[in-house]
Amino acid sequence: MTLSEIADGKLAPRLGIKLDNISKRYGEHTVLDDVSLHVEPGTVTALIGPSGAGKSTFLRCINLLERPDSGTIQVDQHTIEPGKDVNSRDLAALRRTVGMVFQSFNLFPHMSALKNISFPQQKVLGRSKEEADERSRQLLERVGLKEKADQHPGKCSGGQQQRIAIARALALDPAIMLFDEPTSALDPEVGLEVLAVMRELAADGMTMIVVTHEMQFARDVSDTLVVMADCKIIEQGDPRAIMSDPQEARTRRFLRAVLER
Amino acid sequence: MTWLTEWACYLPQLMSGLGVSLLIAGISIFFGYPLGLVLSLMVTAKNLAVRTLGLAVVEIGRGAPALVILYLFYYGLPKFGIAFESITAACLALTWNSAAYSSEIMRAGLQSVARGQLEASNALGLSQRDTFFRVVMPQGMRSAIPGLMGVAIQMFQGTSLAYGIAVPELMKTAYNIGSQDFNYLQIFTLAGLCYAVISMPATWITVFFEKRMARHT
Ligand SMILES: Nc1ncnc2c1ncn2[C@@H]1O[C@H](COP(=O)(O)OP(=O)(O)OP(=O)(O)O)[C@@H](O)[C@H]1O
Ligand SMILES: [Mg+2]
Repeated sequence: MTLSEIADGKLAPRLGIKLDNISKRYGEHTVLDDVSLHVEPGTVTALIGPSGAGKSTFLRCINLLERPDSGTIQVDQHTIEPGKDVNSRDLAALRRTVGMVFQSFNLFPHMSALKNISFPQQKVLGRSKEEADERSRQLLERVGLKEKADQHPGKCSGGQQQRIAIARALALDPAIMLFDEPTSALDPEVGLEVLAVMRELAADGMTMIVVTHEMQFARDVSDTLVVMADCKIIEQGDPRAIMSDPQEARTRRFLRAVLER
Repeated sequence: MTWLTEWACYLPQLMSGLGVSLLIAGISIFFGYPLGLVLSLMVTAKNLAVRTLGLAVVEIGRGAPALVILYLFYYGLPKFGIAFESITAACLALTWNSAAYSSEIMRAGLQSVARGQLEASNALGLSQRDTFFRVVMPQGMRSAIPGLMGVAIQMFQGTSLAYGIAVPELMKTAYNIGSQDFNYLQIFTLAGLCYAVISMPATWITVFFEKRMARHT
């Protein structure tokens, strides 16, 4: 069984996501200015750009961890307008469809690795403990951490924690996965373990949006490269094309800065 | 008679007083902690009326000396036709006291839980209820443990105030014994030892927890 077959249980339909005219302000300070992005089912979108561009905010708007002031989010046939009231059924459905992995892992430190993965399944999907545990063990094995099931996150390395966090998100059968700089808190070598899991997930056809500074990953794995700067998407398209021949001066400046490090 | 033989003959009587002290302390902690949790939530509630009420209860409980609250319950409330036995009044007053102190410790503990924990819970689609009871509370309470143990010790020592309304606790018992033979020095030393024998190991355990916690964060 491949990772995404495990990930979406009985091979759930692949979904894309359409974000249109998303704007977000903090007081007077505009962070996202009318940003639109369409992600096709089964594709990987890499989101890059300078610090403060609004990448994390945009990603967090997708599952409404951050509430945009206006715009629409469309998943499958379902449209949510976060500027207006979002009812709790729509919110729950959105969050069940979209999984998220954070820079700082955010595992529950008082639960074992297994419990971290099983507990949300039991609460959100209503799985029995046995079902959930079985699923959790499958996923742990798949991310190479079978032997860590009974360990608490504090006893695991950063790379291991992040892989557990990925398993935790996958256990809820998301159709779309969001990653916010999943390797930034890790040593480069350890980051590779995590990137390997993500590559495999991408190869299995999971729809993914990845904020990253890993240019090699963006070039090799993503189908679409999106460059954000100053609250906007300034350029998007084929990753190789953009990296070798950026159209925007701002993109060129940013790429030079990260590639020549 | 030497001190030791005197102590040996006073000890059985003192023990019944110690039992009453422990009972009052136990009750005020048993009810004080859950009430403290409720208060800590009220103080951070969005609703202004709820928040104000919570704040008032906490600030009076912490601001007013325990003896004042004790007297209010025992001597004050009968004015409104509400009369308690002295031991009940002591329990009520100390419960208020411990609830107020523990609410502040719990509030700090709950607020110390990392923001990312809430974000992860939300992103996973956990309900608010599960997020609070299964994610935030276990972590917040863990960091509140040393403080809460401190409150328990403080409550145990605070039971000596119930002497003021003639509850037959440790101090009152000691005083009664002392006034028979005028051996005040011996009997109060023994009473002090009784408080210390309980409080000191409890303090050591608290410090142990504090150290362990510091190591794990
Ligand atoms: N809660 C907040 N309140 C006010 N301003 C915020 C808040 N969150 C983010 N911002 C601001 O929004 C802007 C975009 O932040 P965001 O974290 O989305 O950037 P980013 O592209 O992810 O940067 P980085 O690469 O450093 O992670 C920044 O200027 C930041 O200061
Ligand atoms: Mg960011």
